[in-house]
Formats: sequence, C-alpha cells, structure tokens
Amino acid sequence: MTAGKENVDSGIPLLTVENLQVEFDTYGGTVQAVRGVSFSVDQRQTLAIVGESGCGKSVTVQSIMGLIPTPPGRITAGSARLRGHETLGRSTVGGKQIRGAEIGMIFQDPMTSLNPTMTIGDQIAEPLQVHRGYSASDAFTEAIRLIELCKIPEAAKRARQYPFEFSGGMLQRAMIAMVLSCKPSVLIADEPTTALDVTIQAQILDLMQELQKETGMAIILITHDLGVVARMADEVAVMYAGKVVEYGSADDVFYHSAHPYTVGLKEAMPMNDPARQHVLKPIDGSPPDLFAPPAGCGYCPRCPYAMQICSERQPQGHNLHGHHFASCWLHHAKSGRKPETIFFKDAR
Amino acid sequence: MWLYILKRALQGIITVWFIATATFFAMHNVPGDPLTNDRAMTETTRANLESKYGLDQPITTQYLIFLRNLSRGDFGISFVQENREVNDIIREHFPVSAILGVLAVVFAAIGGVLFGALTALYRNRLPDYLIMFLVILGISVPSFVVAALGQLSLVSLNTLMGFTVLPVAGWGTVMHMLVPALVLGLSTMAYLTRLMRSSMLEVTSSDYVRTAKSKGVPPTRIFTRHQLRNAILPVVTVLGPAIAAITTGGFVVELVFAIPGLGRYFVEAVQQLDYTVIMGTTVFYGAFLVFMVILVDVVYGFIDPRVRLDL
Amino acid sequence: MNDLTASSFAPLSDQQHGEAIARPSLSYWQDAWNRLRANKRALVSLYIIIGLMLFTVFGPVVWPIDPAIQDIDQISQPPGTDRTAILVSDYEPWFGTPGLPGTGLRLAERATSQAVRLQWDALDGANGHRLYRNLFPIGPELSYGIPMAEFLNNDTLYFEDRLDLQPGRFYYVVVALDERGLTTDRYQFISVDIDRVTTLAEALERGLIDESDSVQIGDAIALALHPLGTDYLGRDLLARLMAGARVSLFIGIGAPFLFVLFGVVYGSAAGFMGGRVDQLMMRFADFVVALPFLLFMILFKIAFGIGPGESGVFPMLVALVVLLWPSTARLVRGQILQIREQGYIRASQLLGAGTPYLIMRHMIPNTLGVILVTVTFAIPSAIFTEAFLSFIGMGVAPPTPSWGSMSNEGIKTMLTTPHELFFPALFISVTVLAFNLLGDGLRDALDARMRNVE
Ligand SMILES: Nc1ncnc2c1ncn2[C@@H]1O[C@H](COP(=O)(O)OP(=O)(O)O)[C@@H](O)[C@H]1O
Ligand code: SF4
Ligand SMILES: [Mg+2]
Repeated sequence: MTAGKENVDSGIPLLTVENLQVEFDTYGGTVQAVRGVSFSVDQRQTLAIVGESGCGKSVTVQSIMGLIPTPPGRITAGSARLRGHETLGRSTVGGKQIRGAEIGMIFQDPMTSLNPTMTIGDQIAEPLQVHRGYSASDAFTEAIRLIELCKIPEAAKRARQYPFEFSGGMLQRAMIAMVLSCKPSVLIADEPTTALDVTIQAQILDLMQELQKETGMAIILITHDLGVVARMADEVAVMYAGKVVEYGSADDVFYHSAHPYTVGLKEAMPMNDPARQHVLKPIDGSPPDLFAPPAGCGYCPRCPYAMQICSERQPQGHNLHGHHFASCWLHHAKSGRKPETIFFKDAR
Repeated sequence: MWLYILKRALQGIITVWFIATATFFAMHNVPGDPLTNDRAMTETTRANLESKYGLDQPITTQYLIFLRNLSRGDFGISFVQENREVNDIIREHFPVSAILGVLAVVFAAIGGVLFGALTALYRNRLPDYLIMFLVILGISVPSFVVAALGQLSLVSLNTLMGFTVLPVAGWGTVMHMLVPALVLGLSTMAYLTRLMRSSMLEVTSSDYVRTAKSKGVPPTRIFTRHQLRNAILPVVTVLGPAIAAITTGGFVVELVFAIPGLGRYFVEAVQQLDYTVIMGTTVFYGAFLVFMVILVDVVYGFIDPRVRLDL
Repeated sequence: MNDLTASSFAPLSDQQHGEAIARPSLSYWQDAWNRLRANKRALVSLYIIIGLMLFTVFGPVVWPIDPAIQDIDQISQPPGTDRTAILVSDYEPWFGTPGLPGTGLRLAERATSQAVRLQWDALDGANGHRLYRNLFPIGPELSYGIPMAEFLNNDTLYFEDRLDLQPGRFYYVVVALDERGLTTDRYQFISVDIDRVTTLAEALERGLIDESDSVQIGDAIALALHPLGTDYLGRDLLARLMAGARVSLFIGIGAPFLFVLFGVVYGSAAGFMGGRVDQLMMRFADFVVALPFLLFMILFKIAFGIGPGESGVFPMLVALVVLLWPSTARLVRGQILQIREQGYIRASQLLGAGTPYLIMRHMIPNTLGVILVTVTFAIPSAIFTEAFLSFIGMGVAPPTPSWGSMSNEGIKTMLTTPHELFFPALFISVTVLAFNLLGDGLRDALDARMRNVE
C-alpha cells in the first residue's frame, strides 16, 4: 500500500469532484441526498468512501457516471472533471465514452446486477462491441480471455452460461472482467464485497489490486467496512448525511481521526488488530431526515461531543495538516476542547 | 425436458378427469330426469339415449359408461337435435371459435406488449396517461358492452361511408373476423398492457439495466437486448389464463356478432338444457384450456434460461 | 463568526439531545391510511363506493317507485322530466279525407300517439302501393322499414297507422307496385313527428287525473316522472337500477367475502396441520383452480336449477364461493408457512399461547392487508361474472333486476333507445372501476416494501 501521490502528466488529478449536490423529488418532498461533496483521485490510487448506508455514497458516484434517474433525481450544483474535462451532463470526454470506456463500475449485488437472460460471455463482450466496434464473435473470444484473466476456471464453458449458474464470487469476477474489457482509467466499485463471504471478499479485493497494478487505473471503493478500507485505501472520504465530514490519507483518517463520526465508526467496527481490541460500541440513533436537513451539524443528535452551536449552525471545514480535512465545530478556534485531547488519547 | 413435458401431460390428464367428473356429477344433480322433461323428444332419440347411457341403471354405472365413452373421445348424442353427435357439433363449430380466439390472442399479446412498453417508456407523460386511461376503461367496461359498442361503431361507419366497409355480423371472410377479434381481445389486451407496463418499469429500474447503462450501452440496444426479453417473461406466464379468458369471452362476442362458433352453440345448448352437448363441450373446453396452459408453460421454458436448464 | 461566544461551545444538555434523537413513528395501519389518503384516485373511488352503497340502501327511500310497475304511456322513454300528454277526444274511425289539400304523401291531420293518418296521390304508373314505417331515414341500402300495408290497386290512397305509436319521429315511405305486385323503384317518403295524446277515459283509468279535475280537450296532462327514463316495458329505470344495485352489489360483495372467509379457514387449517393433510388439501385446491371458471359457473347454475318465483341469486353466490376459494386458501397457507418459519409462532408457543390466540395475534395482522386487497379485487370480478351470466341468460331470473340482466335487455334496443343499455352499463363500469382503483390504492398503501421509498 504505497501512497504514490504523483500527478503523472499534467499536474491535475485524474478525477476531481467539487461541491456536488444532488436532490430527489419524492412524494414525501425533496430529498437532499448529496449536499456538497468534493474529493479527487489519481492514477494508481485508491480512494475509499465510507459511511452508513443511506448517506449518499452511491448517489455521489452514480452522478459522476450519469446514472442518476432523472426525474426524480437532479444534480443541482457542482462539477466532476476527468483530466480537467467536465463529465456531468455529458456522455463523452475527448471523444471517448465516459461510461464503460473511461469509467467502469461494479455494483454491490452481483446476483441482480447481471442480465438473467443473457449469457455471461455476451454480457462481457457487449462493451467491446459498443465501444471498440468488435464483431460479435471477436468480442466473445476476447470475453473468454478476460474471464480467464479474472481467474474463473473453464472460461470457454463458463462464457456460455447464464448468471444463475454462477456463484456470487464468480459473478463479481465476471463483473470485473466486463468492466475491464475496455480498460477504463477509473474503476468505481460500489460495495463490491458486501454481499459476499469473507474469504471470497479477500479474493475479489486481491484481484482488484492486482489489476490496478497492471493497468494503472484509479479505484473509487465504496464500503462501510473499515477493514476493507485499511487494506485497500490510499485516501479516505468519510461521508455522513450527504456530506464529506472527514477527508485525508488513510493514515491520517485512521490514526489521527478528526471527526466524532469517524471515531464512532471505528468503535463500531471489529478490527483485526489484536493490539487494539476494544468493546464494540454501535452508534445510537439514525441519520437525519434528508427531507429537511438540520440547521446545524447533521451528526449533532448522535454526537457525544455535541455543543450548543452544533445544533444551530453548519460546521465549517477545517484543514488540519496537509490535505487532511474535517468538518466539525470542535476544530473551531473558540472551541475549548481539542479533538486530539478527547479522541484516542493513546493514538499519538 | 421431455420428462417434464411428459409429467405435465400426465398431470393434465388427471385434471381433465377431475373436470369430467365434476361435470358429470354437477349435471346429474340437475332437478328432474332429463328424459321425462316436457321437452319434445322423439322415440328414436329416447331409445338411443337409454341404451347408450344406461339411464335406467345406477349412477355409478352411468358414470363408468360416461368415462368409457369419454376415453374413446366420444361425447355422445345431442338430446335436442335428433341423432346429431356432439363430436360433429364440436368439429363443426370449434374451428370458428378457435380462429376467432387465436386472432384475439394475437391482437391482445401484440397490443399488450407494444402499449405496455410504450407507457413504460413515456412514464408519466401524455402517451402513458392516455393509454392507461384507455386500459382502465378496457378493464372496467363489461365485454358485452364493448361488443355492443363495436357493433354500433360498425353500423355508424357503414352508414357514414354509404357502403358496407365491414360487415356488422355473420362469419365467412377475414372482414367478418377483424372487429369481433379486436373486441374479444380488448380486455385481455388492457390487462396485458398493465402487466407489461409494471414489468417494464421493474426491469427499467433493475440493477442489470443500470449495469448496462454503466457499460455505455446505447438506449435502443438496452431496450432490445436487456429490457424487452426480461419484461415479456411475466406476460408469457399469464398467457395461459389469458387464453382461457378469451375463450369464454368468446361466448358473448359470438352471440352479439352472430358468429357460428362453439361458444354460441354452448350458450344455446345451455338455454335448451341439451345435457350431452353441455357436458361434452364443457369437458372439451376444459381439456383444451388445461393443455393450453401446459403448452404456454413449456414455451416459457424455452424462453427463460433459468427454467429451461432446470427442466 | 464574531458572534460566537463561549456559551455557544457549551455541551448540549441531555434533554436537548433526546429531543433531537426521537422521531415520530406511525403504526402500520395509520401509515397505510395516510398513504391511501394521499392517493387521489383511490380516495375518489372510495367516495364513489360509499355513494353507491347509499344509493342502494337509501335510494328506494328517496325514490319509492316500484321497479316492477309498467307505465304503458311511456315505453322506452329516454331520460327527461315533466312529460305531458294532450287530452283529445275519443277515437273515431277514419276512411280518408276527400279533397285533402296538398300533393304526394301527406298527413291528413296532426299525427298523435292515437293515430297517424296518411294520404297520398297515386304514384306514376303504379298498380298499387305498399306503405312502410321506419325509425330511420332511407339509408344507402334503400331500407324502407317495416311494411305496414299493401294495396294492390289505386282505389285506396290513405292509411291509418295505430300500431304501437310512440312520441318521436317516424319515417313513412309509400312505394309503387307493378302489375304483379312487386316493388318498383318509385317511392315517396315523409317524416312525421308524433305528439303524445291521451283520452279522458285513459287518463282517468291510469290515475293521471281524477274525477274532480276540470280538464278540457286540448289541455296538457302531466305524466309520471321518470328521471332516467323507462325500459321496454315502461318500468322506471331509476327504480330498477336501485333494485338491480341490491342484487349486483349483494353478489359482488357477498361472494368475495364468503369465499375469502372460506379460503382463510381452509388455508390456515392446511397451513397449521402441515404434512400429509396439507399436501392433500392443497392438491384438491389445485384441481378446483383448474376448473374452467365461467363454464362451471354455468354448469352449477343449471345444476342448482331455478324454481318458479326464485331469483337465482343464492345459487350464483354458492357457485362463486365453490369455485373461487382456492386462491385465497393458497395465499393464506403461504403466509402462515412463512410466519411459522420466521419463528414468531414458536416463540409464543413457548409462552403457552393457544392456537386461536396465535391466529389472532400474529396471522391476522400479518395477512389482513393482503386479504383486504384480495377482497377488493375480487369484487369487480364477481360483479363482472354476475353481469356476464345474466347477459347470456344464465344469471338472475326475470323480473328480478340486476345490472347485468338490465344490460342484456337494453342491448336489444341499443340502436333506437340507447339509454336502456347506457345506464346499467355505466353503473357496472363505474363500480368496477372504483373497486379496481381502490384495490390499486390499497395494494400500494399496504405494500410494506414500499414503506420507506417514495
Ligand atoms: N431513486 C431515488 N429516489 C429517491 N430517493 C433516492 C433515490 N436514490 C437515492 N435516494 C436517496 O438518497 C439517499 C442516499 O442514497 P444512497 O446514495 O444510495 O446511499 P448509500 O450511501 O447507502 O449508497 C437515500 O437516503 C435515499 O433516500
Ligand atoms: S459539529 Fe458538533 S455535533 Fe457535529 S460532529 Fe462536531 S462536535 Fe459533533
Ligand atoms: Mg449504496
């Protein structure tokens, strides 16, 4: 896990997202699912986005891909730039299709994410036909090669089978093969291992890392498993109620956590590190109703450090050291308590 | 696969036996003796019937005779029309009903899939509202009213044009078939449209369509390669019951449009209490429907790989 | 930022904290009801259904007309108010009016529902004439109408029509006949507007006036009021629709309730007993499902037979219940097996609860929603079935009215008096529509999967 933060060609990051805001119109009112999210990711880098379910992780990455169903969805502000070119509201950058060719995506539930009435091979071959103009049979041959590459045995036979004949892990490999067929520069994986057994999880993550090394693609990995984050991520963005509340290198976010929510997440997660055995402490309560976002900090009702101001005003972002960032009133100059003194006193 | 078909066919035969038994005992529950009715019946018919059905014997014997005749495909002789075999009646009138029914099913299936897909594509826009309004009407208006309206509009059309564009009633040419088949298929079409719409919407918001979008597959190809086939599957599964609905709906349409089909004949037989014809046609229709359902299931197996490989 | 003081950074009190965490939570049924109320179509349907019930139950109180009474002054009359008849003197025979002014086919005097007196001049080269009457003008097919009279010479050039005259427009055609008595293509036609009249004796007999009234020839006499018109026997359509609503809704609502009830009992019995018994019971249900529904409805109707004076409502109810219970039974059994597997029951069994209690406590709330939706969707199909059977003459026996049998009668005169078909068909359609939309609304409202979406 070498955090190689080198801007290879032009000095600008491969993919930058700035102040993204997304709303959904529903019968109950307008849901502000994503409320100003920013992050960036570079070649050969892995960015992990963590947070409870419903906090807007999927909506964020689907916006970049233009997969938000419109209506009811709406991107109200922000930008996403790939090598400096805007992608929001566009289907191509620099003559290349964004979806499938530039950015590939794999999803949480491989069982439902593949077409049940089409063979695996055909589904893997499809991007090649669409983006590269392969003939059906050439694409199928290539699909078999990709299936082999993703370590599925008996590739030629498997290519002619249907999704229901595959196990969950095999399906996720097939998904990866499908996404890799056009060699995208960014791979978005939305909880790729949540639905899988632990042993299979590790295999899939290994495969992704291996393929990243070969192709140099950037990976945006969505998960709520901090174990997965620790294993894979160079950078981490912690999301809560549609906002990024803490952002920084994996080391910073893990060992110098600067937001009460991140701390809460860590306490709620079992860790494999025996040195840090601790009692699991789930976070009480549930995230705020995004129909009517709270005036103050969204975490306030659940936050053990909440102050008067927290319920009244949105916290500002604070740059700590380097690009480590946290959005919490505790970091305000006038706050009497410094986070370092209350979170994990053992950390430094 | 073959084993599956064989199994289904065997089940079908048992079902038909059950239908025949239910028919037999229902008809034997009819008040009064069919032969001592006040109905005019000639001596020859009476003699024929008594010997053939053992009407003077206990009911179990009669039942066995009924089953034996049935297994030979012999439905007996009409009580009302002298010496006319029920088999002849079916042979003569069923093809008419079948043509009408097939045409209606084709209308209903094509229309249902087409309109259903259309409403889903234009969800919550004018075409959707328009078609769904018509669908709700189609589901809520009784078949005989639709038939009457169909006939009324034919009369108006012919009066308006000053010559017979399409015949108002009767049978014989394709021209006679069009409007009755349309009328017959209409409520089923409405039902299938509704089904296709919800199935399309479900497929449209499915994970695999999202996957296809994320692969950059263009919308038309997503529609043809990913949505259509999956959305049609639920429609195919209800085709069996749909055929049943259309078959019995045919009674009304045949009556209103004066079409010499088996349905109209059945209704007439019922009104005249022509026992053998009623029993014969009921069992025949029952068997027909049972095997249509089996046929649809087998066809479904060929379309859906999950079932196909399971069989 | 300068307004921030040290107190801004004081820790939040426990109470403030608690308020922020608590969220209102609604019960399942409250939630469903709110959802249903938000669905305008379902709500309007619910109002329509309540209106129909009121119409059925209280309609006869407001409009206490006997649906079987025939008003022979007003047969097949379209909807309308305050119709009158002109009082005329008693009928006297007529044999043409010599020297009647005018030419061609013409009226000798005003056309009334008592008599239409026509006179004409011999057509060119005619050896006789035939007179037709029609409700329509001569169409492209040269359909003259019903032949009323034939004269095989030119001596008689008048005709008096007294047959079944109704107020409205009639068309008369006189056609020249050749020497063999065959029609030629020479004809004349006239359209005649008929006024409704009555004689003193008739008016007294039908109770339109009584002895004490002082009326004169030429006075207008008010006829009985029929807001929705009358049928082909002169019966009041509104009163018949109300009576028909009783039959149609009784079958439409009664049958689903009964078969659902039976299905629930059968299904829960099978689900609870399990094993062999369950297998056997469900196999039997499968067979019943396989019976072709409408054919067996007809068969059962025949088997029950309808005696003289019976309406045939009860046999239809029984037949519907006998044929339709299996789907509910399957559903309930499925639910029960599912609930059993989820272990609710075992937990309560450990606490020593009896079976009936178990059903009350767990099955009913879990299954009620689905059953409610089933009943709602079963009602329109039962109403349709009643209408269908009555239409092919296998339903409710006349004179008991039902919407289906009324439509059946109305369809015969659809071309001339469409209101006789229109109103019963409208009631069927609106009722079915309302129950269908309410069913849709209920299903959406009760569907637990949808609770947190939308
Ligand atoms: N199609 C949609 N319609 C309405 N609301 C939606 C839709 N998709 C997502 N949302 C809302 O956006 C919020 C964030 O969802 P999502 O990004 O899927 O969360 P997660 O972080 O678990 O991936 C959810 O709370 C949900 O209410
Ligand atoms: S802003 Fe206040 S409530 Fe929000 S996380 Fe920081 S301390 Fe907690
Ligand atoms: Mg998600």
